[in-house]
Amino acid sequence: MSNETHEVMAPYEPPPRSLLQSWLAAPWAVAKKELRQTLRDPRVMAVLVIAPALQLLVLGHAANLEVDRVPTVIVDLDDTTDSRRALAELIADDTLREVARAHSPDEATALLVQGRASVAIVVPDGWSRDLHRAVPTHPARVQVLVDGTDPNRSGIAGSAALRFFSMLAARSVQERLAQMQGSMTALAGQSADLGTVTASAMAAAAGAPSSASPSVPSAMRPTQLSLAPRVLYNPRLRTAYNMVPGIATMLLLIVTTIVTSMGLARERESGTLEQVLVTPVRPWALILGKMLPFAGIGLFDLLLALVVGTYVFDVPIRGSIPLLFGVTFVYLLTTLGLGLLISTVSQTQQQAFLAGLFVMMPGILLSGIMTPIESMPSWLQPVTYLNPLRWFSQIVRAVMIRGATLDEILGPLGALAVCGFVLATVAILRFRKTAG
Amino acid sequence: MSSILATTLGRDFGKAPSVNRAVGEISLEIPRGELFGLIGPDGAGKTTLLRMMAGLLPPTRGSVRVEGIDPFGKEADHARDVIGLVPQEHSLYGDLSVGENLDFFADLYGLTGDDLRTRRDRLLSITRLGPFQARRASQLSGGMYKKLAVACALLHQPEVLLLDEPTNGVDPPSRRELWELLYEFVEGGMTVVVTTPYMDEATRCHRVALMDRGEFIALAPPQQLIDSLDAAVLEVALASVPEAREKATAVVEASPLVVASSPLGASLRVVVERGNEPAVAAELAGLGTLVPAAASFEDLFLTAIARRERDAKSSTARKEAA
Repeated sequence: MSNETHEVMAPYEPPPRSLLQSWLAAPWAVAKKELRQTLRDPRVMAVLVIAPALQLLVLGHAANLEVDRVPTVIVDLDDTTDSRRALAELIADDTLREVARAHSPDEATALLVQGRASVAIVVPDGWSRDLHRAVPTHPARVQVLVDGTDPNRSGIAGSAALRFFSMLAARSVQERLAQMQGSMTALAGQSADLGTVTASAMAAAAGAPSSASPSVPSAMRPTQLSLAPRVLYNPRLRTAYNMVPGIATMLLLIVTTIVTSMGLARERESGTLEQVLVTPVRPWALILGKMLPFAGIGLFDLLLALVVGTYVFDVPIRGSIPLLFGVTFVYLLTTLGLGLLISTVSQTQQQAFLAGLFVMMPGILLSGIMTPIESMPSWLQPVTYLNPLRWFSQIVRAVMIRGATLDEILGPLGALAVCGFVLATVAILRFRKTAG
Repeated sequence: MSSILATTLGRDFGKAPSVNRAVGEISLEIPRGELFGLIGPDGAGKTTLLRMMAGLLPPTRGSVRVEGIDPFGKEADHARDVIGLVPQEHSLYGDLSVGENLDFFADLYGLTGDDLRTRRDRLLSITRLGPFQARRASQLSGGMYKKLAVACALLHQPEVLLLDEPTNGVDPPSRRELWELLYEFVEGGMTVVVTTPYMDEATRCHRVALMDRGEFIALAPPQQLIDSLDAAVLEVALASVPEAREKATAVVEASPLVVASSPLGASLRVVVERGNEPAVAAELAGLGTLVPAAASFEDLFLTAIARRERDAKSSTARKEAA
């Protein structure tokens, strides 16, 4: 190294950069590169676009909590016209599906044990006699046996059967009351004070057969009093109304969190992060650039979910679509932030993937998508306040199904924004610490 | 002004009590326009030292200045404009093409316009990657990949280029080509620091530092280091007896008088402390005779490492005795 070479060399001048350039050029360059790599990798594209569509279709159909066509074994020991008619009526409802007839309760139990049926209905001998007698102390009883390994399905089917038979019993009591009333009117002729009928007597006669005494002399004209709940927003109580927003929430989480966490881990693993970190690019610019394309893909996945929900599952979109996208963007901040956070604690893609699963499972289970938060133990319920999935699925349901406006979702939206802000901040701070 | 200045620079990994001193305390000054080689076995601390110079790994002790700038200080961004790094691992995006990789790093350095275009064309022509612009980086040969990595590290015209084992996994013609590139850069006034495990490459540097277990054990121009070797280098001319080579190797490895030995074709090469030649010749009686040979950098390196090990053993032995 002679002195000449020193003189030949031009003094150092940093390349001229405008403020706008240095603020936007780097994230844009990273985003462009990321998008290019993603579009070029058919497997990643499949994960990002095709898998969500398929999962939405499959889960939308499979995660159906409506109980119908439950395999049922029937034991009709009464074997009268009444019992046969009642059972035919029960099966016609399609909640239960008769798969076998048995001759004894033991035989029916055996079928339950073998798993050939989930519910067994035993109509005992003398059932129709009890039904017609309608004696409160000795009501017409049936036995319903239920396979407890699938409590949800069997429970619903079993109680449907019980409800049906109680209804039959109640109907029979009413018929009997009507008969009695007829005979009493004949006896008493046009006697006076027919007008004083107490409400409680009417209710008892209509709904609760056990408390209705057939020998009540004052029961004149049995008035039908029934409770008919009116379900708002989802009158047919279709599971899809609940599941499509829920699945959209889970899909966005899975897609964006896994891809972000593995994307950064991949750069760390392959050594490309090193080359990027010796450039003047700032950590936040790198992160922003890496997140932008996946936020875009996440919004595309939402569009996909809305299309499938509308055209395949007939789920209405009653609220504003721009609002849905805006809320989703906030949600994506939390899922992408989570992915980034995972990547800062993972050295390899495999670690990132496993850590992602580890975080996502409780996230989904504690979100209220699968099971209502109200039925979780009271100590666990406050934990769900920290769960962005809870807030997002709540908002999507409100906006899609109830047509809620921005004012009506401010509470959960605020909670979601706080989750996102905290996650993103922690992730960036940790990333700066671990990048070097 | 010196291009790189390290003062008692060191880095530990792990927490007490199992601290691994990857780099002990290294002081070093590299003037502008020097081609400086860091030579040492795997795990000597070469990469750690280079990463500290590049501003990627904060030192545990001491300091480093590159072109007068602290790469961990307030002017770190400025330092990044001055430094170019070619990491040891595959540092480019395999699924992007040659041209796209160049464009990406140009964007990260904020390079635009005619200036970028001329530099890009020039780098593509000197690395002869021009015809392969559309090829994915993952489909390049080892040598072409490294040249692309060098091109990416040079886009912003750094003053200092740091290369971590650039010739690892590169075939000999491409290796020579890479070195020719490095010479060209140095002639243009760039400071180049290169690590290598290959002894023959050490002699191509202006100055080399021999590194072992986190310390420099020698630092000088390579020929000067070879000339300073104060031991006899000999080749064993094997006798025509069955299994002469195997037997000779066993004798040489067992002998306390032989400092270092290495296989040489069908024969053996040994380094012996001066004055011990007759004794070693006696040990090899019947298997071969000793013929004096010219010292190479490898002999020097093996001798230096062997002596260090011997000294370390005897000092622990002394401590145990005391």
